[in-house]
Amino acid sequence: MDILNNLNNLMMGLSAAIQPYNLMIAVIGLVLGIIVGVLPGLGGANGCAILIPITFAMPPTAAVILLACVYWGALYGGSICSILFNIPGEPWAVAVTFDGYPMAKSGRAGKALVLSSLSHGVGAVIGVFLLTFFAPIIAEFALKFGPPETAAVMILTFSAMTRLGGKSALKSLVAIFLGFILAAVGMDIVSGKLRMTYGTVPLMGGFSFIVAVIGLFGIGEMFLTVEEGLKMEGIKAKVRLKDVWDALREMVRHRKILMMGSLIGCWLGIQPGGATPASFMAYGFAKGTAADKDEFGKGASSGIIAPEAAGHGAGTSATLPMITLGIPGSPTMAVIMGGLMIWGLQPGPMLFKEHADFVWGLIGSIWVANFIGLFLVLAFAPIFAAILRIKFSILMPVIIYVCAIGAYAVNNRMIDIYYMLIFGIVGFLFKKLDYPIAPMVLALVLGNLAESAVRQALIMGRGNPMIFFRPPIALPLMLLALFFFFLPTFSKWKKSLTAKKAGVST
Amino acid sequence: MRKADIIVALGLMLVGFIVLADTIRLGFGWGMSGPEAGFFPFYMGLGIVICTFFIVLRGLKTYKKEGAGKRLVAEGGLTQILWVLIPAAGMVLLTELIGLHFATVLYLGFYMGVVGKMHWFKVILISLLIPSATYIVFDKLFLIPLPEGLWGKYLIPF
Repeated sequence: MDILNNLNNLMMGLSAAIQPYNLMIAVIGLVLGIIVGVLPGLGGANGCAILIPITFAMPPTAAVILLACVYWGALYGGSICSILFNIPGEPWAVAVTFDGYPMAKSGRAGKALVLSSLSHGVGAVIGVFLLTFFAPIIAEFALKFGPPETAAVMILTFSAMTRLGGKSALKSLVAIFLGFILAAVGMDIVSGKLRMTYGTVPLMGGFSFIVAVIGLFGIGEMFLTVEEGLKMEGIKAKVRLKDVWDALREMVRHRKILMMGSLIGCWLGIQPGGATPASFMAYGFAKGTAADKDEFGKGASSGIIAPEAAGHGAGTSATLPMITLGIPGSPTMAVIMGGLMIWGLQPGPMLFKEHADFVWGLIGSIWVANFIGLFLVLAFAPIFAAILRIKFSILMPVIIYVCAIGAYAVNNRMIDIYYMLIFGIVGFLFKKLDYPIAPMVLALVLGNLAESAVRQALIMGRGNPMIFFRPPIALPLMLLALFFFFLPTFSKWKKSLTAKKAGVST
Repeated sequence: MRKADIIVALGLMLVGFIVLADTIRLGFGWGMSGPEAGFFPFYMGLGIVICTFFIVLRGLKTYKKEGAGKRLVAEGGLTQILWVLIPAAGMVLLTELIGLHFATVLYLGFYMGVVGKMHWFKVILISLLIPSATYIVFDKLFLIPLPEGLWGKYLIPF
């Protein structure tokens, strides 16, 4: 019965998504997303951040379709750049350069593009399939959550993030704490007291996560790009029908890798690992299981299929924790979730009950948009690639200009443009010194929710922190969080122990 | 790189201490209605101070053992970055005076003409076209007024 109900809702969502206005919004979003994905410096996260002010004038369903489509577009677009220019337009597209670029270089650019975008399509379909059928179940379950459980979910999120990023745990923690502190600047929502404003007026308004995202990702990325002295030398590509046919055959041949890639992506997308580790993990998996390991790095088909399916699967399934638990699975989702809060919607399980049309409109649009996106990329990849041939001295100032508009338009405050530049410098330093940025953005977006969950839980427990370990739901979540957090330490410890043993026996 | 690592960590530690000072003023204990206003940020600040302490410690250790390591910014990279940062900062300062649209005309013109050394005709065309387009889209279509600065509103006649 539940499944029937879901299908019914999906139909409702699909019919909302194919309304002419929403369809138009979806296409605009996809085109902007692909452009943003292709351009270095701009990505899904700050593409969405810049567009948020524009969405204030739209109904929420159209607004979320626009932002979500920018995200899908950026997922597609990042790969075009990787394959044709050997420059990953997005961090999750790094793994695609390993085999995508060699394949394009050897004269099969069309085939590489088709392989990549079709794999994206498959990853997306599997991701959205999970979303359609599991999101309502998880949302139903999450309705039982009280403040301690919400806090536990967030602790689990951040503990997974600290360890999955592959960066130093200390630095990840610093990034998370800093994000929470920035979120707390300004008025305390409970007591009404001003916090950490030090008597200055500009700090009273606090820090907007949108400005932080634009600065950290956009401007910071720009500094990195010019520092490395970027050269754009691309391969010209045309997609012919034969390429499509070729790619389809390859995909059927590597169907196991395709499925594994998508599933790895979906799994990491639901946890807040995000698309980047997913694509690397899937690439590693494809390489590990392949019979012809020598082909990898020279243009192996499965070396394109696996990371692409994983990246897009992760991106799509990152929607699931966002709309069911109010926890975004990736930085871009964090921005979209911030948008939801600005539009007056509370992400989390109640969304399914109170705004069913919104949720199902979003899910419906994911189905529709990914098909349109696939078509757009296949048909117009050469045109999108041509954007990168625009001179850097035009692109660079225009990108900074667009970022400045986005930062200003959030609150119509001049000070935000200064913050954007400062965040840019911080982002550059953080990237250089290996402080992860994604957890910081997540903490900034979740700041108020996390703080009020912790405070309410402590009030419920009369100050006793054991409330966070209350059975039946919070306890396993916290244990899982601890497990995630200490897992790498244990495995390191075990390794050194076995190494010692081996040393003794020889 | 290692020097910068230590300096940045010390800077973050300073941020942590500044936060701690304010949360102690606000009170971080148990108040009349549960945790006080400074409660949550206090522990976040404390966390930063503790974590950066260990980062500095580790940084010093490797610094002593292996020397300064790679440069933070690649050779010649800093000039490139400043060429981006200074004009951008200049644009923002100009925005305070003449508004974003006019500041952008000058900024785009400067960057394309001086840094990009493009043909003057292209420079003028692009640096007029892009701000006009955003003026129409934001100020007119979406009714999002972009900053006018002190004198900007007298410069746009329509």
